[in-house]
Amino acid sequence: MKLSTPAATLIKTKSSKYAINVITERCKECGICVAVCPTKVLARGDSRNRRGYRYVVPAYPDKCIGCKMCEYSCPDFAIFVEAG
Amino acid sequence: MAVTHPLDPYLRVDRIPTMWCPGCGLGIALGAILRAIDRRIEEGLLKKENIAFVGGIGCTARMTLYPYFDSAHVIHGRAIPFAIAVKVVKPEMKMVIVGGDGDIAAIGGNHLLHALKRNADLLVIMVNNMTYGMTGGQLAPTTPRGLYTTTTPYGNPERELNVIKLAAALGANYVARSSITHPQLLERTIYKALAKRGLAFVEVLSTCPEIFGRHIGLRNPVDLYMELKKKVTVKTNPSIEESDYDWGRGFVIGEFVDRDEPGFLDTYREYISKSFGGGAV
Repeated sequence: MKLSTPAATLIKTKSSKYAINVITERCKECGICVAVCPTKVLARGDSRNRRGYRYVVPAYPDKCIGCKMCEYSCPDFAIFVEAG
Repeated sequence: MAVTHPLDPYLRVDRIPTMWCPGCGLGIALGAILRAIDRRIEEGLLKKENIAFVGGIGCTARMTLYPYFDSAHVIHGRAIPFAIAVKVVKPEMKMVIVGGDGDIAAIGGNHLLHALKRNADLLVIMVNNMTYGMTGGQLAPTTPRGLYTTTTPYGNPERELNVIKLAAALGANYVARSSITHPQLLERTIYKALAKRGLAFVEVLSTCPEIFGRHIGLRNPVDLYMELKKKVTVKTNPSIEESDYDWGRGFVIGEFVDRDEPGFLDTYREYISKSFGGGAV
């Protein structure tokens, strides 16, 4: 059975300075990004992706300082931060 | 998708998500390696088509499947001889050997000794998760003393193998230890190692929550990550005697050896030109 690809796999949350992007289909719900974020921007989400993992969501994007610790510490290339 | 991850040009995206368990440190290590390579490519020191990943067997060696470079997945522990052969035939290649502690220090240990002795022009990245992860968490030579594993249910009675001391004793040009809990430092270490001639050996402390962590009560990836972060001490220019590798005292990371001696290929070129009067090769 071929699984269909969901239409929206990228969540882009913009704050005044940074855009926090989560590629939901890659997230494995390990929680490392939530733990390493120094300003607690991220939180565990409630919706699930195609593989059944509850992907992380940027709950407080305005707190982001752009340190990219979440991007560097994500084992699955699922999250990245852009300026602007 | 209009917006993609910055590392997507270096990844075989059709193979993502990886086969690694949630919270495995290998993905963090791979990200740091790719960012270091990206910086060297932008500087013009490396070319994308001249990089090859070689790995043996194990979770870490599966890392060869994900970057969009030439790669070889060879028999257990034999990644180093394969890479030396490629390097001798095509000296312009940059060989990156990725392997776990089981692949490089245990089963491929003899090959590592001889590559170190020759100072072969390779970059060896040993991702150390302190156990045999893929086969079910058996005791590895790098498991710290006293820890519980699948095969040591009363604790590990043996001394642990400190591969940093081994690599320094046999004369590698660059010996460093880093940790996935410090991803920027890990990236800088690999960035530096990519420019070295001779053998550059980088040990990367990593986590294995699913197989290693469950026996020591740290089954949650975040718990094991934070525990490793607490145990890691960063030192600038530490001596080789300071390379502590102990679960109780902690782990010291930093650059232990950094020298510039002729590598395997330089030595051979010199002898060939001496014997054949120069210009022969």
